[in-house]
Amino acid sequence: MAAPGAPRPNSNTNNHPSQPPPPNYNPNSNPNSIAYNLSNLNLNPPPSMPNSGSTPSLLGQPPNFPSSAPLPGVPSVSPPFSRPGPPPGVLPRPAVPPSGPPQSTLPPNLAPFRPTGTPIGQPAPFGYRAPPGSIPLLTGSNVPPSSGAPPPGAFPSSGLPSGPVVSAPPPPGTRPSTPSPPLTTGPLLPHSSASSVFVSNGPPSFTSGALPGGPRFPPASSASKPPVGPPPTMGFAGATPETPTMHSLVGSPAIAAPPPGTPLQPAPPFSAPPQGVPPPPGSYGSPTWPRHPGQVAPPPPIPGSVQPPRMFGMTPQPLPNQSMTAIPVLGQTGAPVSGTSKVDLNQIPHPIPSSSPMLYETLQGNQANPPPPATSDYIVRDTGNCSPRYMRCTISQIPCTADLLTASGMQLALLVQPLALPHPSEEPIQVVDFGESGPVRCSRCKGYINPFMKFIDQGRQFICNLCGYTDETPRDYRCNLGPDGRRRDADERPELCRGTVEFVATKEYMVRGPMPPVYFFLIDVSMNAVQTGATAAACSAISQVISDLPEGPQTMVGIATFDSTIHFYCLKRALRQPSMLVIPDVQDVYTPLQTDVVVQLSEGRQHLEVLLETIPTMFKKNGTPAESSFGAAVQAAFLAIKSSGGKVLVFQSVLPSIGLGSLSAREAEGRTNISARQKEAHKLLQPADKTLKTMAMEFAEYQVCVDVFITTQTYVDIASISVVPRTTGGQVYYYYPFSAVSDSAKLYNDLRWNVTRPQGFEAVMRVRCSQGIQVQEYHGNFCKRTPTDVDLPGIDCDKTIMVTLKHDDKLQDGSECAFQCALLYTTVYGQRRIRLTTLSLPCTSMLSNLFRSADLDTQFACFLKEAAHKIPSSPLLQVREQVTNLCISILLSYRKFCATVTSSGQLILPEALKLLPLYTLALMKSTGLQSDGRIDDRSIWINYVSYLSTPLAIPLVYPRMVAIHNHGPKDKDESLVPPVIPLSSDHVNDDGIYLLENGEDCLVYIGNSVDSNILQQLFGISSPNEIPTQFVLQQYDNPLSQKLNDVVNEIRRQRCSYLRFKLCKKGDPSGALFFSYLVEDKSPSGPSYVEFLVHVHREIQMKMSSS
Amino acid sequence: MDFIELEAIEGLRWSWNSWPASKPECSALIVPLSVMCTPLMQSSELPILTYDPLLCSQCGAVLNPYARVDYTSRIWYCPFCYAKNPFPRSYSGIGETNLPAELFPTYSTVEYAPGRKIPSPRANPGGPSLNSKHNWANGLSSTSLASMASFSSSSLSSLGGDLRGLGPAFVFVVDACTAEEELRALKNELLLVVEQLPENALVGLITFDSMVRVHDLGFSECLRVVLLHGDRELSSEQTQQFLGVTHIKQQYLGKAPVIQKQGFLLPVSECEFNITTTIEEIHSSVQAMLGHRPQRCTGTAILAALGLLEGCLINTGSRIMVFTSGPATRGPGIVVDTDFRNAIRNHRDLVNGHAPYYSKSSSFYQRVSQRLSDASIVLDVFALSLDQVGAAELKGPVESSGGFMMLGESFESSQFRKCVRHIFNRDEEGNLKMYFDATIEIVTTKDVKICGALGPCVSLQRKNNLVSKNEVGEGGTYMWKLGTLTSKTCFAFFFQVSDEQKVQPGSAFSIQFITRYRYGNMGIRKRVTTAARRWVGSHSPEIAAGFDQEAAASVMARLAINRAEKCQARDVIRWLDDGLVSFASKFGDYVQEDPSSFRLSSNFSLYPQFMYYLRRSQFIDVFNSTPDETAFFRLMLNREGVVGSLIMIQPTLLEYSFDGPPIPVLLDVRSISPDVILLFDSYFHVVIHYGSKIAQWKKLGYDKDPNHENLRKLLEAPELDAEQLVAGRIPAPKIIKCDQHGSQARFLLAKLNPSVTHNSTYTNGSDIIFTDDLSLQVFIDHLQGLAVQS
Repeated sequence: MAAPGAPRPNSNTNNHPSQPPPPNYNPNSNPNSIAYNLSNLNLNPPPSMPNSGSTPSLLGQPPNFPSSAPLPGVPSVSPPFSRPGPPPGVLPRPAVPPSGPPQSTLPPNLAPFRPTGTPIGQPAPFGYRAPPGSIPLLTGSNVPPSSGAPPPGAFPSSGLPSGPVVSAPPPPGTRPSTPSPPLTTGPLLPHSSASSVFVSNGPPSFTSGALPGGPRFPPASSASKPPVGPPPTMGFAGATPETPTMHSLVGSPAIAAPPPGTPLQPAPPFSAPPQGVPPPPGSYGSPTWPRHPGQVAPPPPIPGSVQPPRMFGMTPQPLPNQSMTAIPVLGQTGAPVSGTSKVDLNQIPHPIPSSSPMLYETLQGNQANPPPPATSDYIVRDTGNCSPRYMRCTISQIPCTADLLTASGMQLALLVQPLALPHPSEEPIQVVDFGESGPVRCSRCKGYINPFMKFIDQGRQFICNLCGYTDETPRDYRCNLGPDGRRRDADERPELCRGTVEFVATKEYMVRGPMPPVYFFLIDVSMNAVQTGATAAACSAISQVISDLPEGPQTMVGIATFDSTIHFYCLKRALRQPSMLVIPDVQDVYTPLQTDVVVQLSEGRQHLEVLLETIPTMFKKNGTPAESSFGAAVQAAFLAIKSSGGKVLVFQSVLPSIGLGSLSAREAEGRTNISARQKEAHKLLQPADKTLKTMAMEFAEYQVCVDVFITTQTYVDIASISVVPRTTGGQVYYYYPFSAVSDSAKLYNDLRWNVTRPQGFEAVMRVRCSQGIQVQEYHGNFCKRTPTDVDLPGIDCDKTIMVTLKHDDKLQDGSECAFQCALLYTTVYGQRRIRLTTLSLPCTSMLSNLFRSADLDTQFACFLKEAAHKIPSSPLLQVREQVTNLCISILLSYRKFCATVTSSGQLILPEALKLLPLYTLALMKSTGLQSDGRIDDRSIWINYVSYLSTPLAIPLVYPRMVAIHNHGPKDKDESLVPPVIPLSSDHVNDDGIYLLENGEDCLVYIGNSVDSNILQQLFGISSPNEIPTQFVLQQYDNPLSQKLNDVVNEIRRQRCSYLRFKLCKKGDPSGALFFSYLVEDKSPSGPSYVEFLVHVHREIQMKMSSS
Repeated sequence: MDFIELEAIEGLRWSWNSWPASKPECSALIVPLSVMCTPLMQSSELPILTYDPLLCSQCGAVLNPYARVDYTSRIWYCPFCYAKNPFPRSYSGIGETNLPAELFPTYSTVEYAPGRKIPSPRANPGGPSLNSKHNWANGLSSTSLASMASFSSSSLSSLGGDLRGLGPAFVFVVDACTAEEELRALKNELLLVVEQLPENALVGLITFDSMVRVHDLGFSECLRVVLLHGDRELSSEQTQQFLGVTHIKQQYLGKAPVIQKQGFLLPVSECEFNITTTIEEIHSSVQAMLGHRPQRCTGTAILAALGLLEGCLINTGSRIMVFTSGPATRGPGIVVDTDFRNAIRNHRDLVNGHAPYYSKSSSFYQRVSQRLSDASIVLDVFALSLDQVGAAELKGPVESSGGFMMLGESFESSQFRKCVRHIFNRDEEGNLKMYFDATIEIVTTKDVKICGALGPCVSLQRKNNLVSKNEVGEGGTYMWKLGTLTSKTCFAFFFQVSDEQKVQPGSAFSIQFITRYRYGNMGIRKRVTTAARRWVGSHSPEIAAGFDQEAAASVMARLAINRAEKCQARDVIRWLDDGLVSFASKFGDYVQEDPSSFRLSSNFSLYPQFMYYLRRSQFIDVFNSTPDETAFFRLMLNREGVVGSLIMIQPTLLEYSFDGPPIPVLLDVRSISPDVILLFDSYFHVVIHYGSKIAQWKKLGYDKDPNHENLRKLLEAPELDAEQLVAGRIPAPKIIKCDQHGSQARFLLAKLNPSVTHNSTYTNGSDIIFTDDLSLQVFIDHLQGLAVQS
């Protein structure tokens, strides 16, 4: 158990005392409580009450475990973290990143999510029911474990525990390998088999994704799960619902863990599983064990094993398996029946961040290893399957039939991010050059050679793993097979032993020479843009970014400005000064000679710099029309670089009101016409007409990628404008309301990241699947002209494409189903490459396997993307209903077919998906699904989601919140980012300062009674009343400020995004904004978390009874 | 009476100085009743009156010496319509001994140059709107005139100067596809021009290659250029909108019009630095695409300049000066496509319809002509290219606006420099010697009807009862518009006798030419020429006596080239021949059916010869010329006075020998002799032809030998004369020096009468010309034969 406990790791747990809950899995709720839960749930929302009181305190103190535990672990890991590119942060950057801290940070993230708040807050309510008796245990145990967490760090230690755990795993049988692993990492190892598990331990720590963390664990070491049981926290809760104190998670960072620790651990069942953190081992172990067996194996990692769902109140314990995996149920614990009322909030599943990176092998024992949560921190070793960063599937096992899939209620889809940033400690992708003949391919389906192609007949032939066709091996590619049936040279050839490789493309793959990198900047200089400083900000950003453009003789640049006309600039060196070429016709656009306006960077640099300095004043001085011709300008820029293709970066400030593709202020019209508005509200989210779409298709055809930076103070009809970047593989950046003071730095950093991030041009992507499965549709930012391929004039590391799949035949149980994504692209250095990503997953015909191997992060990302996709075309109510129904139907399916037990009072959640309700709720409360938001805000949200990567999907709807008022010096090992706090107002105190970020925006909430000293140190103001509306984060010479900056920089690094800051205070619209992000609260936009669970449970009950 | 003397006074040459009184008789004259008029002919005796002319209230004629004046009642009777007009108060002192200049009998031509003060509205109406022109006669309300005047002045003031301060506007349209060295020469020349322009002159600069670049000269931060697409034919409104020079159409009294500041057309004083920089920064954009001509959108560039000037409402006169080095290859006005495999059209293509763009481009330029004339803008074309540039298409607008055309080979040539400098000559007061925005109005006695005019002018389609239904050339009007004119520009006006009127032979009739123009200092002037001639009875010998064969030849030449624009050369020649035969049989002295008896009186005797040379001139016979050259020649002929025209038709040939002073010799191959130097002048070419002996001496350097002083003098004489010939002509003729039997001698041989050819039996040692063309002698023989037939 102990081992298991580890997983939970604590880190999470530690971090947040409260976190423990995450561990979720373990259910430690009190049996009783659970039972009642349901009922209670309904009844009481209040739970919080009790907590509340406690809560605060918690924050303050308690949570020892969490923090402490995790941290340790983390540190070790963390180092790896620092990401190369991302750190956009200007000034900031340097900041800590490198150091261990980062890690810590990560963890924090994790932490934040889940655990923190919740657990504590709501003491009683849910316990995970898991361990029956355990409540006490749980609490105690959990904590301890968590505290134990440290163990995680110390793998070794865990090792032992793990052992146990391991054993558990065995059950699952799936991974034999596991054992060994354990050793290595200790806790992790155990999981090894369930790699994920380990990960979990680790992961929790690392991944910021923390959220998932919880879940992950489970997978990893199923066994472990139990231990940690995450629930520890829960446990607490459960145990003592009341014990807020215990929970005091918050405070916890400190040490809390220990105390509870030990004993409780057992409880951990929930959480534990995942992380089977060693520490707890002992304690946990035992308790958990029972279940573990089941769990262990099953968890994600093991395909075979069955997973038990988690129940709300009760755990499904019955089945060993299930129990193991399963998890967390929400229980309404507490309340035993009486209903009194409370739902033990501590037992509600929350994400648990992991604290340290875990090691993940993609293929273990020839079996696909379920991936760690996308949001966690992990280091991948590519052992045959591709890294989950590049491609991950919603379910790590493929249902054999369409019926099975339908029954599960889940969807089958891939999230492909072909150029994703690797972890710095991962091996770089190897480049293979086949010479003139090009890569070996299946002659029937054109699939590329990959590790899953089977060589037969002494290597003379190979069987395609995609279409099953038997091909002759090209003569010079032959090699004998070893006794194991593999080619003897398999390990030396990356294409035969790696899930991801790059091939050098031959002439056959080019219709022309690889294009040079061409950057064309377009700046709005209409009156508004000039007056608001947007023009100046854009010019200054470009000017700074020029030096970051790829060096080389091939790099070409061009620049143009536009208002009611378009102004190109001739940058030829022959001229003594740049000359402006005005294109007055914005209806029927044309351009100067390309050679005049697009020049080699080296040739044009001087003129360009001068020009960028002059532009803002030039237009200010001469006056400039109020109108802006976006469409025409983009078209003109396109014409200017049509022959080569390239990137167009547009800085737009107002609604394009003139010329080609001009738009009208539809929003205002919609407002005046109320009846139409309600009926047709979603139409405003659709492009106004087809002009821009048609243009964009043409751009894509000529490999022109458009990015739009919108720096505005008014409605600009993003729904229409965004069509261009979406179709051309670009993206929209939105600064609203734009402030030259506070947004300039972000603009620069966004631009810089835009041009420096790993990226490719003139790309074509296709995903091939094994027979039986076929691609249904692609979603993302690209242009589709043929049914099979997507054209990406530009593709970069941030862009993700969702590929939905469908069955066209039955699959063989036990066989493997492969997915291969081939991306043909040109690097910024002008090399033509094929990036090949192959993922092979086992097929299953058991529903329980599906649930166990469900990948919550990926599923949710799909969920999110599909919802976003539907918003513009269907009424909002319908979309919201669909979202809820999807969640309910999955849970219903699980309840119906997998959960063995069941008291009607329990809400049973599959371990892997236990956070689904929470995320679903958060999604419903997100900007895109709110009817009262600004149209542009919703459009930008939809647009952002369309290319959002999996690790960022969850933070978008369920942001990370941390307290920044009280972190003093910490141990080196600690994670940089403070523990995560659940998104509930119960955790927000008046004397605190909180930072909440979703990957794009960052809100800093300042309570009304914050110590003015702190304010002075952090922001240079003495009272909350002085909060400036335009905030620029500055570094002052004091540790607190420095720490804040470090934290912020770490977050920026993790998100690859320079956050947009806003200071919020109570009683101000900004405060309302902040609170609108606290999704667990009841708000006008939706029920509280508890209420939602109750609602879900009811629905399920109704459906159960009706069926 | 000497026609030339008369011309010096009146500036007129009449084909017939006495007109038969009946219409049928007039038609029988063959050569129409016409007047070659040089409105601004320079004359030392020209009286300049500093007051406004006195107009007849009925017909608009200006008071002139032919008016009958009743001094006592202070009334004058208009000699044209016989209306009674009172003298205004300012003429109170008038009396027989105190006549105003315009009534002096000798002052048939006077010029009114009202003071430098801002012209009163009444006198200034012409500026902005010729349309209201004759209104002043008909009493158009002065308020409307005033409003127009204020309209124009307010819009002009938008340009940043007051009305008076503004000079003429020049828009330089430069072909950036010119090779770099050529372009350098052009730029230098332009810089010089800009430097020497009066401070108040407005300048604009447009360059073009595949696109049109309109340079903003008012933008200081960097060079700003508005780019217009080369393929699009923009309307005036579009151009103005694109350039941002739209003027507000409706104006409300008392409300300051919203003026958009524009920097495309600025006074030199404001933009000298910018335009200098801009000109210096013009770079050649020749893109060497193998097998292709550079992309030029000459037509679009002209349109842009036109739109700009229209938008700026420049009514003080403006020129669009196009400097190009090749044919337009895209956009409206395209001449040929860029592919070198497609040659530029030649005459045969035009005849066969193998010039795909010709008619389209011509009609495009037709529209341009109309707009140019509406806005009083002049189009000048300087085509410096070894190949054709499309002058044939461009001829329409250039000719009708009175603009200047030059075909040359290189911007580096002195010919080009000379032309440009000549155009920008200034008078003693520093004013440009350019006369803009002119109109010519004709008033006649009512028995004379106005048929039309041939020359660089456009009919304003103003009709009154003096306008004949029978149109010749630019007809249907009594008033014509001229974008610009020079002191040499000459127009041919055609008249006919009214059908109904019964006129008394022996009585007089008069014709008055009123030329209103804007002088170099932008002041308005009016030159009024009044001439009277007599009606004569039928068969009166005075008819023949009044025949001016030189004027007649140049009038016929204009008619012929006018006809040649529409029909093939063969038809034109036939028409000329038919006319000549009829003419000869009418005015010849002969016995029927006896060719040898045929004689012509002295003032008819040269006419057949003129016709002979006209027939074989480059104006009619286009063989060996490109359409561009033909267009150029015709354009020049169409504005040249009688003397110049005759040189073009029948070149002059002078012989220099040791025997005495130079003597004119026959334009005949037999004039070539080894020991003489010939100076040949065909107006476009001046050839100095050294006889073979002289050439040899020259080669041996005898002229440098002090012992052969006279040889040196002999050699010098024709050169000096040639210089003189060249000096007065713009564009300057090409001087060709050649030796007998040299290849360059072809310029001479082509024009000589081939009296001795390879077919001749006796050559008498003369040179021969290899041709099958008929010689003058044969032509005359045939003519005589035909003329005496009944």
